[in-house]
Amino acid sequence: MSGDADPAPRVDDGLTLEELDADGALLEAIDSVYGDSRADLLRKAAFGGAALLGVLARPPDATGAPKKDTAVLKFDLVFEYLQSSFYLGAVRVGTVQRMAPEKARWAHVLGAHELAHVAILRKVLGRDAVKKPFFNFRGVTESESAFTRTAVAMEDLTVAMLAGQAPKFENRALVSAVFSLLTTEARHAAWARRIAGFTPVANAFDEPKTLAEVDRVVRATRFIASRPRTRGRGKPRYSG
Amino acid sequence: MAAVCSAALAAAAVVLATEPRGTSSPGPAPVPPRAALPDPVAPVFRVRTPRPLDDSIRVYHSAPVLRRVEARTAPEPVAPPVAALEQLTPERTTNIVLAVGRARDARGRLWVRVRLPVLPNGSTGWVPRSALGGYVEVRTRLVVNRARLTATLLRDGRPIFHARVGVGVPASPTPSGDFYVRNKLTNFDNPFYGPVAFGTSGRSPVLTDWPGGGFIGIHGTNHPELLPGRVSHGCIRLRNEDILDLARLMTVGTPVTIV
Repeated sequence: MSGDADPAPRVDDGLTLEELDADGALLEAIDSVYGDSRADLLRKAAFGGAALLGVLARPPDATGAPKKDTAVLKFDLVFEYLQSSFYLGAVRVGTVQRMAPEKARWAHVLGAHELAHVAILRKVLGRDAVKKPFFNFRGVTESESAFTRTAVAMEDLTVAMLAGQAPKFENRALVSAVFSLLTTEARHAAWARRIAGFTPVANAFDEPKTLAEVDRVVRATRFIASRPRTRGRGKPRYSG
Repeated sequence: MAAVCSAALAAAAVVLATEPRGTSSPGPAPVPPRAALPDPVAPVFRVRTPRPLDDSIRVYHSAPVLRRVEARTAPEPVAPPVAALEQLTPERTTNIVLAVGRARDARGRLWVRVRLPVLPNGSTGWVPRSALGGYVEVRTRLVVNRARLTATLLRDGRPIFHARVGVGVPASPTPSGDFYVRNKLTNFDNPFYGPVAFGTSGRSPVLTDWPGGGFIGIHGTNHPELLPGRVSHGCIRLRNEDILDLARLMTVGTPVTIV
């Protein structure tokens, strides 16, 4: 049904999601989904939920550090939603089925891993778990080449994000768990790079990214969109 | 592979342990007592074994119309227009379309073939992917049988809901064909339509001047005693308890086949 001649963004070994779209319109979309900017999200993040209380052995202190742990986990969850929806979306529209077997297996495995990450983060956050946003991948999941290259960028970005955040958790047991996610994501990134024909390990040192940097990149993709409003309370005008 | 690595590491440990001490060659750095090394911190959570993605599930995709756009007869910007798609429905909800195909034009731009909410019923057209928003996935399909006066909702091909219904009288029949659910209305305080009303992309071929365009709805009724039967202006009527059950199972974007 579909060829693959779509003018995908330029890609090289230094690919970042920023190269996909740089107009930064995602801020409004995030606001519409959560009613919060990222800064507000971090500021207003509530510490609570029995599951999380169990997770964070250390009680909230005057610095509010556990609140920060919670807020970062929420951000991670949104990112895992993005990744899992990206892979699953490519499966659902048939892009992955048209791939060569080894490449299709790669997409399936990474998609399944990201869904498992969503599940554990939702469980850990309990009632604090944020709702899954609505995504518009703008045709990227419908093109094998664009999908593959964006997956590389996404996995690289995940590694940079977790590398930046993992050391900052106040709870050491949480640090350990997030490092386990980080090493898995690093393997994802290397696998994605190999599949896409890039050097699996681009650099001798991975630069961590701050949440603000990651947020800016995610916004630039405009992948998070407003949910269509298909429910109403107006009088039906159907023929009856 | 892991076993091979473990064996290699074990062999190396044996070699180190059996190496004669007191020779002139510098030995390995002294290893601190085991008790001095901190244990690794146990992770607070562990990710469960991932479940494989199931690509055998039949999923239908709908997408919101982001801007007014002409649907065309072919995936090319110069192809003749079929119909214009607006951002909103007559009920002021987001207008959505059901995707039924994809193709690229000569310049490599992605186009989506969509089912159109226009007469003649069953029309399709091509719109640029960029005019549509994100896909909404549904796994359900509603089948309405006008001869048997039934509605059956299928999920993954298996029936999960079944009810007797009312359809159009011979003078304003319920049209046959493939449609989709466009919106869902509640709290409208009009007993004629019952507690819930779904709008579909189907249109009455007879009531073309009906307010709103004569779209075929799926809704409740304040005259349940007439069901099942051929009693409506083309809409599909269900008893109120049935439409409430259906509303719990059927989401907007669900394909509707009327036979």
